[in-house]
Amino acid sequence: MSIQTNVAVIGGGPAGLAAAIAASKQGADVLLIEREARLGGILKQCVHDGFGVVRFGEKLAGPEYAQRFLNELREYPIQTLTQTFVDKIKPHPLGWKINLVTAQGMRQAFAKAVVFATGCRERTARQIGIHGTRPAGVLTAGSAQYFTNILGQLPGHRCVILGSGDIGMIMARRLTLEGAQVLGVYEARAMPSGLPRNVAQCLHDFNIPLHLRKTVTRCFGYPRLEAVEIASVDEHMQPIAGTEERIDCDALILSVGLIPENELLETLRVSIDPVTRGPVCDQHGMVAPGLFCCGNAAHVNDLVDYVSESGEIVGTAAAQYTEQPRQHAKIIAGQGMMYATPQKITLPAGKFPLYFRVREELGKSRVVVRLGDTVLAKKTYLTLRPPEMERIALDLSQVALQEGQEIMVEIL
Amino acid sequence: MSNITRINRSLHKQFGGRFCVVPQQQHLSLQGESDNWHAIVQAGRLAAVLFKGEGGVVNDVHYIGEQAQPTRLPAVQDNTLDGQAPDVLVIGGGVIGCAIARELARYQMDVMLVEKECDVAMHASSRNDGMVHPGLDLKHKNTQKHHYNHRGNAMFKELCAELQVPFKRSGQYLCFPQPRWLLWAGKFRWNSHGIPSRFYNQKQLRRRLPHIHPALKCGMFFPTAGAVCPYTLTIAYAENAIENGVRVHLNTAVLGMDVHENKIIAVHTNRGTLKPKLVINAAGVFCEDIAAFAQDRFFSIHPRRGTNIILDTKFSKLMSRSASTLGTGAKEGYSKHTKGGGVIHTVHGNLLLGPNAVETIDKEDFATHAQDLRTVFGHQTKTSEALHPAQGITYFSGTRAATFEEDFVVRRGLYTKNIIHAAGMQSPGLTAAPAVAVDVAQWAADMLQAQPNEDFNPQRQGIVDATSLNNFARNTLIRQSPDYGIILCRCEQISKGEILAAMRRPLPCDSIDGIKRRVRAGMGRCQGGFCCPLITQVIADELGIPLDQVRKTGEGSELLCGEIKPT
Repeated sequence: MSIQTNVAVIGGGPAGLAAAIAASKQGADVLLIEREARLGGILKQCVHDGFGVVRFGEKLAGPEYAQRFLNELREYPIQTLTQTFVDKIKPHPLGWKINLVTAQGMRQAFAKAVVFATGCRERTARQIGIHGTRPAGVLTAGSAQYFTNILGQLPGHRCVILGSGDIGMIMARRLTLEGAQVLGVYEARAMPSGLPRNVAQCLHDFNIPLHLRKTVTRCFGYPRLEAVEIASVDEHMQPIAGTEERIDCDALILSVGLIPENELLETLRVSIDPVTRGPVCDQHGMVAPGLFCCGNAAHVNDLVDYVSESGEIVGTAAAQYTEQPRQHAKIIAGQGMMYATPQKITLPAGKFPLYFRVREELGKSRVVVRLGDTVLAKKTYLTLRPPEMERIALDLSQVALQEGQEIMVEIL
Repeated sequence: MSNITRINRSLHKQFGGRFCVVPQQQHLSLQGESDNWHAIVQAGRLAAVLFKGEGGVVNDVHYIGEQAQPTRLPAVQDNTLDGQAPDVLVIGGGVIGCAIARELARYQMDVMLVEKECDVAMHASSRNDGMVHPGLDLKHKNTQKHHYNHRGNAMFKELCAELQVPFKRSGQYLCFPQPRWLLWAGKFRWNSHGIPSRFYNQKQLRRRLPHIHPALKCGMFFPTAGAVCPYTLTIAYAENAIENGVRVHLNTAVLGMDVHENKIIAVHTNRGTLKPKLVINAAGVFCEDIAAFAQDRFFSIHPRRGTNIILDTKFSKLMSRSASTLGTGAKEGYSKHTKGGGVIHTVHGNLLLGPNAVETIDKEDFATHAQDLRTVFGHQTKTSEALHPAQGITYFSGTRAATFEEDFVVRRGLYTKNIIHAAGMQSPGLTAAPAVAVDVAQWAADMLQAQPNEDFNPQRQGIVDATSLNNFARNTLIRQSPDYGIILCRCEQISKGEILAAMRRPLPCDSIDGIKRRVRAGMGRCQGGFCCPLITQVIADELGIPLDQVRKTGEGSELLCGEIKPT
């Protein structure tokens, strides 16, 4: 019952599919492990369009985007296990021993390299401090999306959406199209936290009001939600006393952030970046010898196109992985940066994309990548906004990097 | 000066002329008018401390402040139970009621338990920290709390083995900021009557609890303390009771009683009138209301809300054992009747912080408040600075059924003959429950002259926890039943097999929350974000109902509003 392979990919969403295909292209034996019954990850429930603009130059729906990879997957000798749950993973003389739970029984897989493409999960009502009662009708946007798009069920008739993350705005449009009344999208920040195109296409086009600097503080009603309390917030995101208003609704849908899901990887004691909440990776997505991480598990991306790109890079590297001593340089997110990834570079550096997000909205500004006083790359942006992840293609093959040197990414 | 005059003078001194006490038969009636609930609670407490009588202090004050929410009652109205005449009627499906029902099954009696909620363990029994207390009450040694805590603690190991309930006797640390607390510790030890304890200095303490707050200078360890899953224990008691012939009726609320010549002759419910020989009052925060129906009201409840915070299992290594801190000064948001909870190491591997204590008028005040969370964190970070709000995955509130005497009321009726109270249950009610149940069942059997039930089976088969099995045993289980290999709750690794098993138990369970309490699906860090839609489908398939009839808890808590617009 045990399986031996070169590369095991955990997660059959967009990152895992791209990683498995890329590793197989390198000639490696690949095992793709997915806990759900079908491949495709969260794309399966994203029936809206807008996927693939960067990668394919056309707007695809989520399932269509996934299907392109599924079609490609079929052309390679990739062993796929669906409805299979990774229970434990441990170091082993053959590389890594992966304990699998399947409907056919317990299985073991042994892999030289493991790619974690485990995606992310949504922040919950408790994590953002919504108080009051615990009625039915409070759910995350992802759950609401599953109910609506996969099960064909409406989660509420009068909905309040908290958080202007992309999935929240997309659900606002979706619920409106399905006959529910969306009373408004509330966002505690001064700026929408999703992409501008979604503000325009999902909210403005459907006359759904967006209320900035306001949050939900309390739920009323039991056993079903009857109303929520909305309050304005100050610059520290704390509710301002006296600004509370009560809004009658029967569903509260939360789109308040995504958290990379790395609990399995954390059991292997890798270091987690407190800002991205993904592991500290090098330019190949390598976290530790033989362990790789890609897609939204590494850091939350804004577009699936970049998730696929990261899967390809990591899948290729995992297929080529050999045990050998490695030297690293660091990438430091400097002035104005929320984060920059990869956080480290395995030498020799070569070519790789650098992703970053800025801390706050900026007008015309120049981003510089430098080693000491030497500028390695620079790029000018008309605007930079935290919801949008930015990408700079770096080519460091001509740069003589040394172990421990620090590359700084900052805004001038 | 008589006792009553003294109480009235003290009340007058402290509250002006607002409150007075009037002696009634064997209890004391607190009277007056106030819009200040806290003042009423304080006045009641003052009277209770000074009053020496068989009964307690009853709150008859006309309260004119903001009124409590109306009691949540089941919507169902039918006569399915009308005319039934069980030997014993247990009112309340909390841990006390269910434990009593199970102990009553040891005798040849017809036992019925009624619970107004859609499941057992819906109030305090699922809204507490799960601590099995070692029994530290130094000041109040002659209380029922102390007595039952001590006896109950000793019963847990065997009981939890019989009922297959997770229990760990992992001990508890009590830490002190100043060495002078060693005097307290010494005094405790001198008086402890068999509660084992050990002293630790700061160095020893830090070696055992590396993340303990550096300001804590010494501590004691109580190896008999433990942790149990409180709602699993309640459900297990109820299931074992049902397996031994007890009838459990959920969604059944007691609405009134007929009492004739100090004897209950009829009990009115939303499902008909019952004619029990004996009534057992285990109604938690509503025990005063039940006592009033039975014309046996000689104590009063002032609900006290507590909030607990559960941390992600990832952070359980911050504290290898449960620990609490004494003597860190005044605790805002805590009444003086609590040592301020602690950092509890739960049986499921989470750390749990809390609870605080806030007086409330509302018996079903389960809402949480931002202030409560700040209070709990503020206090528990005195035990360890490593604790941080971002480590929390969820929090919840419950209400304690505190009497003015701050003690349990476990006794036969004072005025009414055929009632036994197991009332006034607050901390350490969970620890006390097994011992209280044994006594109450014994009294009931004596009153009805019941013979022991030779067929009583104390063993209960729990739901298999597949993650606790080794690979070989888990493989065998999955081969027999492939559903155990389909993981639906990823955070807690709960399979479809376990969810279906939870729905096929002696006590019916058909809601998302019911399943969550039985097998922990949805209790992890994503709080059901991923598994809730999947479990909704499993419930709908198993019960053969449409998806929009699947409920979160009871009636009216349907998750969905019907199909989307037809295409």
